[in-house]
Amino acid sequence: MAHSLTDECTPLKRQYDTCFNAWFEGYLEPAVAASANPDQRSKYSQEKAAEYEASCGKIWAQYRDCVQKAVKEKGLDALLEQARQENPMKDPPPPPTPGKS
Amino acid sequence: MHYFSQLFHYDHPWSHVVIGMWHKYPNPHCTHVVTIDVVDRSVDPQTGIIRTERILGCKQKAPTWIVRVFGGSEDAFVREVSYVDPKTQTATISSVNLSLSQFATCNEMIRYSPSSDNQRTVFSQTAEIQARMTLWRAAADKLENWLVQRFEQNAQLGKLGFSDVLRTMWETKDRQLACAH
Repeated sequence: MAHSLTDECTPLKRQYDTCFNAWFEGYLEPAVAASANPDQRSKYSQEKAAEYEASCGKIWAQYRDCVQKAVKEKGLDALLEQARQENPMKDPPPPPTPGKS
Repeated sequence: MHYFSQLFHYDHPWSHVVIGMWHKYPNPHCTHVVTIDVVDRSVDPQTGIIRTERILGCKQKAPTWIVRVFGGSEDAFVREVSYVDPKTQTATISSVNLSLSQFATCNEMIRYSPSSDNQRTVFSQTAEIQARMTLWRAAADKLENWLVQRFEQNAQLGKLGFSDVLRTMWETKDRQLACAH
């Protein structure tokens, strides 16, 4: 696993990544299967979002606090804020248009 | 403005590639990526779409003239926003440089989707690299060319590195499964 911005956050990052990856590996394939049916999809998504929060929510909060501090220390907070303003990327990008590369 | 694009297949199903996405670094082909941090993540309880915002820290030597003119250092940071949509089986990763962003922008877009036979994964990558117009034109062109060159090298290394990571990861898992049965 890669390092975090600061050594202080690396152990928290690794714990969090391990938690997320374990959750994600169990999540993905059933999510694809469940999405064939709209009701099943929203039921599965809801359950899994709650499960993610329950398993990784606590370690995420600790890691996030640490990394937010690190982002500030490295002077990246203003650059990140500017990039978010220029392009919030709050929605998935549209699918590519056929025939246009 | 420079454009870059490439399209190829990974010989792994979509779900394996997307699980592998989070394990891409570190890998020996891409030692320039040294730190990765998630700064924001959400799992949509309606759609199941996962949005992740990360900051990648890279270490790569810049030519002396660039450091002299633009005051950069060998540390460069990138903002990356990814979406994994299980319904459309699409994973997209958009990236933009945070460092030197007052002089130039490098916008990259990656898309992973299943091949038509569902056995493999289509990888498409496009990038637009542009120096900001306020710069002295000659310096801007040189900066842009250097960024393009470095981007192309890294794109090649990324492909090699991720192929190895996926192979190792899924060979080990398949072996474990075979032993368990």
